[in-house]
Amino acid sequence: MLNHIETGLRNIRRSPFQAMAAISVLALTFFVTTLIAILVYSSHQIISYFETRPQIIAFLKDEAPAEDVADLIKNLSSNEKVKNVKFVTKEEALEIYKNATSDNPLLSELLSPDIFPASVEFSVNDLSYAKQVVGEVKGKEIVESVGITASLGGESTLGDVVDQLKSITANVRVGGALIVFVLLTTSFMVLFVVIGLRISIRREEVEILRLIGATPGFIRMPVLFEAIFYGILGVFIGWLSASVVLMYLSPHIVSYFQEIPVLPKDPRYFFSLLGLLLLLEMIFGVVIAFVGSFLALARVSKKK
Amino acid sequence: MPAIVKFENVTKKFGKITALNDVSFEIDEGEFVFLTGQSGAGKTTLLKILIADLKPTIGNVFFAGENIAKISKNKIPKHRQQIGYVFQDYKILTERTVRENIEVALAVVGISRKDWKKRVDAVLELVGLGDRSELFPQQLSGGEIQRVSIARALVVNPKILLADEPTGNLDWETAQNIVDLLSKINKEGKTVLLATHHEGIVERLKKRTIRLRRGMIEK
Repeated sequence: MLNHIETGLRNIRRSPFQAMAAISVLALTFFVTTLIAILVYSSHQIISYFETRPQIIAFLKDEAPAEDVADLIKNLSSNEKVKNVKFVTKEEALEIYKNATSDNPLLSELLSPDIFPASVEFSVNDLSYAKQVVGEVKGKEIVESVGITASLGGESTLGDVVDQLKSITANVRVGGALIVFVLLTTSFMVLFVVIGLRISIRREEVEILRLIGATPGFIRMPVLFEAIFYGILGVFIGWLSASVVLMYLSPHIVSYFQEIPVLPKDPRYFFSLLGLLLLLEMIFGVVIAFVGSFLALARVSKKK
Repeated sequence: MPAIVKFENVTKKFGKITALNDVSFEIDEGEFVFLTGQSGAGKTTLLKILIADLKPTIGNVFFAGENIAKISKNKIPKHRQQIGYVFQDYKILTERTVRENIEVALAVVGISRKDWKKRVDAVLELVGLGDRSELFPQQLSGGEIQRVSIARALVVNPKILLADEPTGNLDWETAQNIVDLLSKINKEGKTVLLATHHEGIVERLKKRTIRLRRGMIEK
């Protein structure tokens, strides 16, 4: 094994520019892959943020009987499309208002809880259910009106927001997958050509080894190690470059999106996410290197 | 001594050309045998059959009791590892030092790395290249490169040493030295089959000779 690794490294030292070409293409591929993976993660986080916020508030009439309110809460809680159902009393509504206007206490000084309606807040499991659920709640006798969270842009634009978010997410995923696919294919081809070239240059050496009794495995091993070395180094450089860019940009991204957790705020989770990406990319890189070199070897053997 | 090599009515054809025609002979363990004949007589074809690089069209070839004519593809490397082969064109790895060239053979056979130095030093001493181990082939003369080739063939302690025109690219004096070296190796117990068209060398050593002419054994 050690002998094969040594031979593989010696081959790399012999033609450093070919090695650099293979590693550069792989590094570029995995640089973009890391960024796209983070983009997909962030878009998923945005969707999930909106999906888990209390998005809909049913304001209740003052004269609503307690039993009817309890029925409404029970119905919503048992609805599979609805989650996080919460009853907000008039007092709690005042508290929320006070908190929201804490920078100007005068605004809430003379208010009594009576002027705030009690309400039932809830979220939907998927934003596409929102219209239907809102319609059902609006039809209830005890409901005065239904409010949609401002972050969704109000009821009239709810459908647009949902569609827009879904479409952006889908585009990021499909576009990202397409770019990654093209780059992976390019990397694979470059690796295939470089390894094929290497084997062709070493044809005489391969012939000598064959004649003195080397097994096909013995001849292939250094080539496979060489390709795997390219894969590992290319992935690491690409991942490291993308990680540095992300670490530099993350404070700006986090402050721009404020409470929306597009990136993990806890550094441990952030680095765990990057670590997971590195692991997955390493597996991909090694598989590409292995398959590319194996096919190149098979092609050269067939030519012989 | 039992026969280590046995050819039984071996014929090898390349299309309409017959390279070997009904060749039969035996070589005993520890023997030194010359294989002679003009260019195109079939010497290299015979050696290639012996290392299973070619399959005979008809006949059987036994090496250490195993029929090489029917050897399966996956057994060929193991078979070749039992044979030391010295090539006319040396077949030395030009980008590796003398020591590394010899170590390659040990790696191929799977000898433990801790034994490499001792074995390489011993074989380099035997071929007279003890002080050349860290040089590259470009820094050696033709005779020295051929000695590296012999050292590589010997280091794995093969059952037989095949030499295909080992003196073909060398001047007379160097050629004599190489043949003397092969003779010395034979005296230490190694079976040697030396293919050459150089009659002077054959006459000088006076060993058993298998003479090929147009693919047939003449004598």
